[in-house]
Amino acid sequence: MAPATAARDTLLHTSGVTVRYDYTHEALHPTTLAFEAGTVTALIGPSGCGKSTYLRCLNLMNREIPRCVVEGEIRYHGHDVNTPDENLFELRKSIGMVFQQPTPFRKSIRENILFAPRRHGRIKGRAEGDELVETSLRQAALWDEVKDKLGQSGLGLSGGQQQRLCIARTLAMRPDVVLFDEPCSALDPISTYSIEETIRSIAQAGICCVIVTHNMEQATRVSDRTAFFYVGDMVETGATKRIFSAPKDQRLADYLSGRFG
Amino acid sequence: MASETTAGLGGNDLGVDLGDHVRRIGRRDRVATGVLTAIVAFVILLLASIVGFILFKGLGRALAPGFLTTSPLADENPGISSEVFDSFYMLLITLLISVPISLGGAIFLVEYAPDTWVTKAASTAIETLSSLPSIVVGMFGSLFFVVTLGWGISIIAGAMALTMFNIPILVRVIQQALHDVPRSQRDAALAMGLTRWETTRYVLLPAAMPAIVTGVVISAGRVFGEAAALIFTSGSAAVNINFASANLASPRNPWNVFRPAETLAVHIWKLKMEPTPGNDEIVWGTAAVLIVCVLLFNVLARVLGKALAKKMTSE
Repeated sequence: MAPATAARDTLLHTSGVTVRYDYTHEALHPTTLAFEAGTVTALIGPSGCGKSTYLRCLNLMNREIPRCVVEGEIRYHGHDVNTPDENLFELRKSIGMVFQQPTPFRKSIRENILFAPRRHGRIKGRAEGDELVETSLRQAALWDEVKDKLGQSGLGLSGGQQQRLCIARTLAMRPDVVLFDEPCSALDPISTYSIEETIRSIAQAGICCVIVTHNMEQATRVSDRTAFFYVGDMVETGATKRIFSAPKDQRLADYLSGRFG
Repeated sequence: MASETTAGLGGNDLGVDLGDHVRRIGRRDRVATGVLTAIVAFVILLLASIVGFILFKGLGRALAPGFLTTSPLADENPGISSEVFDSFYMLLITLLISVPISLGGAIFLVEYAPDTWVTKAASTAIETLSSLPSIVVGMFGSLFFVVTLGWGISIIAGAMALTMFNIPILVRVIQQALHDVPRSQRDAALAMGLTRWETTRYVLLPAAMPAIVTGVVISAGRVFGEAAALIFTSGSAAVNINFASANLASPRNPWNVFRPAETLAVHIWKLKMEPTPGNDEIVWGTAAVLIVCVLLFNVLARVLGKALAKKMTSE
């Protein structure tokens, strides 16, 4: 077990986390990482290196995959959540996730945002709902574009707008951790830029962001810390500047210089 | 055309005659298109001629004044009022029983069932049930619902027999509709702390609803035209329905589910079995009514499905 470096604002801390698919195939070897409030951590590495698999451990989404086993310790606010009796549904209310493909529900823009908070009994009355819709959409830099068509379907928006709607929807849950699984891989450069801005701004608001990306420029633009994964191993982690300017591990150096990946 | 612009290139550095190759695949493409068009045209022609023939033979009688509103037991100019009512009533009862069961079964199989041999066995059983001959389902219904349960020849026994062969169709349609909702929708809902049931009820079902509605209405068309499963279960005797009857236990009360009933399809079979003068005309008229209803179901399925999908994606 890694010593708890317990800086006051470490929100998530995993030690020795492994993932096995089909009970036997170890897709992620023991991984120890910590994530702090108000920072953006990028997980990089070639396809199939385990970075998304690791990300999906943090909100226990891997439990939705049949025959998938996650072992090790995942401490959230100092409390191990990787236990059979952890309440997944409570956990996921405060650890949000944004996916690779924009996934608006087949509902209006307003309903996309209010749906989950309302199911969780957090919205009382229309005014409160309106306010949540506006603040969430503003945080995701989408308000000005959609404020006149909140009643229209979320599927009518462009890809980049849909993704920002998904971010707004996640923020409406008032999470303190947001996980991004290659959020820009299906988007054009302008949408990508605006999503990166959003990620920076929500990190400044004190939210802990973890982003999986295969785009190394994106990692340098958006993240404070970077972790490099390779064939199921977390090879190297550190401040993003240091990782990109002075990699220690040969595999990371090769990856950065484009020798594979 | 693209083939002509590239055909102009002629040979290339490799000494391969590209023009010849392009001409050859162009010809093949045209042949394939022609054959496929001919097949589709044949199918359309087949359908059009069947429908056209039946309408030609039956529409005159079907549209004759009083045909749809006169009792089949009337002495002069018997109509098919009871059959029309019984067909729709039987369909309604069948759907009331089979839709909830199929919905539950399909949701369980897609969303909840662990991936074990039990689930696979259940899926196989459902597929097998869908290929059981309907006359055999009728035999079973007659032995079990009519005799063993003592329901007698009745609407409810007929509806149960129809349910047995409607369930597999519906389960498969609903399973497919749920499978077609992108996995990402499911994940997104679960990642927001929604339970599996909330995810199914508020995200997956609404997203799958257009396909489900289309499937239900198309299956309704099949049920509507079914005869074999009903002959032994709801009977083939025309009923003189009394719409004024207030006594629910009366065999002439239209809403009494324990009375015998004769649907349009069974009526056709019955009349062909006992040829008497004038019957043929009634048979063709009934067939025309039946086929128009079934076509309407199919149109309705498309319109409803499209309207629902549009409502959810662009409003």
